[in-house]
Amino acid sequence: MKKFNTTRFGEIEVSENEIIFFPYSILGFPESHNYVILEGPFPFYWLQSLDEPHVAFVIVEPERFFHDYEVALTESDLRKFGMSSVEDGKVWVIVTIPENPVEMTANLLGPILINKKKNLGFQLVLDTDKYHTKHRLINSAVEARRSSGG
Amino acid sequence: MLVLTRKVGQSIMIGDNIEVMVVSASADQVRIGINAPKDVLILRKELYDEVKASNIAASKSPVDLKEVSKVVIPGER
Repeated sequence: MKKFNTTRFGEIEVSENEIIFFPYSILGFPESHNYVILEGPFPFYWLQSLDEPHVAFVIVEPERFFHDYEVALTESDLRKFGMSSVEDGKVWVIVTIPENPVEMTANLLGPILINKKKNLGFQLVLDTDKYHTKHRLINSAVEARRSSGG
Repeated sequence: MLVLTRKVGQSIMIGDNIEVMVVSASADQVRIGINAPKDVLILRKELYDEVKASNIAASKSPVDLKEVSKVVIPGER
């Protein structure tokens, strides 16, 4: 276990195998390469930088909100991300929470891909017109509940 | 900014392993081909700017999510 200082959570203990290395960093945060995922209040998680205490992102599992959301990966993508199959990967999306949290949005254009086997992380920028950086989360949660009949 | 004049089919090299080629050009559009190592991120600048701005906004999210999470419980746990 290693200790890291964070602005939001104080000192945290992280074991070596929880550290996720982002070789190309997250756009806008070139100094942060090592992150850990911390569980927040459901359904939120935190992607906390271990290099810069103040850098942390709220993330969610996109499938909970956006049922038809897809991140297409080519064979060459898999190689680039060190993955032997798509099963090695897990996709997260970053959430922006403004002053009025009802207006919170998810960035579906720039998802986070984690190579679970090698603990590597990448921010992708999808080459598509289908997604943008501000998909409303609340409407999607209501929709998702409605379509599952609950 | 360095500005170079090139004809269609001509390239410039950036360092040893990045080649940028003018594939075709018309009055208001050029098509550019790029050969680069696969670890080099190549993006249209609008997309780069959009995702970067979104990341910076996201990094300012509030610390206490307990109240926030109450308004957004999706599906089943």
